[in-house]
Amino acid sequence: MRALVGLLGLVFGIVVGVGLVLANPLTWFDGLPPLSAEIAPSKAYLWDDYRGVSLSVADLLGVGRRDPDVSLAGPALSLVRIGIVVLPAGEGVPAALAVKVSVIAEENSLWRAQLGSHDYWNIFWPGEGSAFATGYSNYWGMVRDKILPPIGSSDLAADGYPISAPSPLRNSEGVTGAAGRYAGFTGEIRERLYPSASGKNTDWALALKANPPPVVPR
Amino acid sequence: MKRLFLFAFIAGLLVVAVTATVWPMPKHLRYQSLISVASDGGRQEDFVIRWPGDRIPRPGEVRSEPYAAAAVGAAALEDTAGSRVSAEMFRVRDTEDNVIGVASRLAGTGAAIADPGRSASSWLIVIPSRGAIFLIQTDAFDATIREQLTEEGNMAFAPAQAAAFWTDRSRIRVTATAPGAIRSATTGQVLRGTSEFAGLTGSFTETWELEEVSADGSTRGRVVLSTLTAAGN
Repeated sequence: MRALVGLLGLVFGIVVGVGLVLANPLTWFDGLPPLSAEIAPSKAYLWDDYRGVSLSVADLLGVGRRDPDVSLAGPALSLVRIGIVVLPAGEGVPAALAVKVSVIAEENSLWRAQLGSHDYWNIFWPGEGSAFATGYSNYWGMVRDKILPPIGSSDLAADGYPISAPSPLRNSEGVTGAAGRYAGFTGEIRERLYPSASGKNTDWALALKANPPPVVPR
Repeated sequence: MKRLFLFAFIAGLLVVAVTATVWPMPKHLRYQSLISVASDGGRQEDFVIRWPGDRIPRPGEVRSEPYAAAAVGAAALEDTAGSRVSAEMFRVRDTEDNVIGVASRLAGTGAAIADPGRSASSWLIVIPSRGAIFLIQTDAFDATIREQLTEEGNMAFAPAQAAAFWTDRSRIRVTATAPGAIRSATTGQVLRGTSEFAGLTGSFTETWELEEVSADGSTRGRVVLSTLTAAGN
């Protein structure tokens, strides 16, 4: 009887402890404010056509199993995901071709509610120009809602998770215009993730806001 | 019994606290950076890509034997005005042939981007343990990938992977020596970096080097990206 009570107490303590860690209040204050939809409309895209890690909870915690069908060859690439993405046309902008690279962040911390990846974009609009973008995606909120559904809001899952968060590196976010009419532009990036019930065929949305460089009078 | 339950409960909380503290988060494998100091200042580092071996195929994509010069891990997009953009994905090596990261090359044509007959390229190199570096350039020629409809569907063909490209040369500098007429055009420029590359700017050149032409008309070779950077240029 004593052993059973002790075991129950231990299990209860672990469950409550996991709940407290997952419900870390930092997650409620650590997101980036959304960009105005008028200035930076979101472009929905699919990123199922990738090579590398799946960015599942197990991958982010370092206990994921490598899928030989899509894994990247090379020990230095075991935590990398890369894929070609087509961003749809709309709002006066043509469709763009892009490559997105995500790298599981070494700076992730369970105490700081950071479980994410550094994301790098190389985007080119035909006939227009190109831009680079970098950001940090924190999947903590999605992980919390998967493990503790009652704490998570069903609205969040339906509206998508605003996964863009300040980078633990503090110096690596933003948009940098590269070629064509976007040369010299600088701005911000936001991403949103719409998980499906099965966990597969997840949709993403990307919003970019960039301004031209200041005009210097001669 | 209550006291036992309380002690066990606190022990459970402690187990979670200790686990959250000491949990081994994944770390990237890091090779020693092969950087040399240029005689007139700055740091020089070369990144190497071997074709076709370092092309990253998309899932389920295989190199089709009848089309040995076809490139895997590539896509192209063209607008109604004929402006084209192509994307390629590669593994990246250091000069000692260690695979250290991934890279993407996006190249585009069009009046706002490059002079007629030329393209402009954006290189993104990501080295997981060190960060990312962004490179842009005007190309000396149109270096975009072309897509063609074949009996096996749409296939991408890279200029350097066809033997015909190399009839009178075995090495070509892709980076233009002069920027061209377009205002935004540039010779090789290191635009920005993150993490270890943050604050570095400078120049780079892209060179294609042919190593072998096979009997089936395909080629083998390497792309060398030579960067010369300095802090706060």
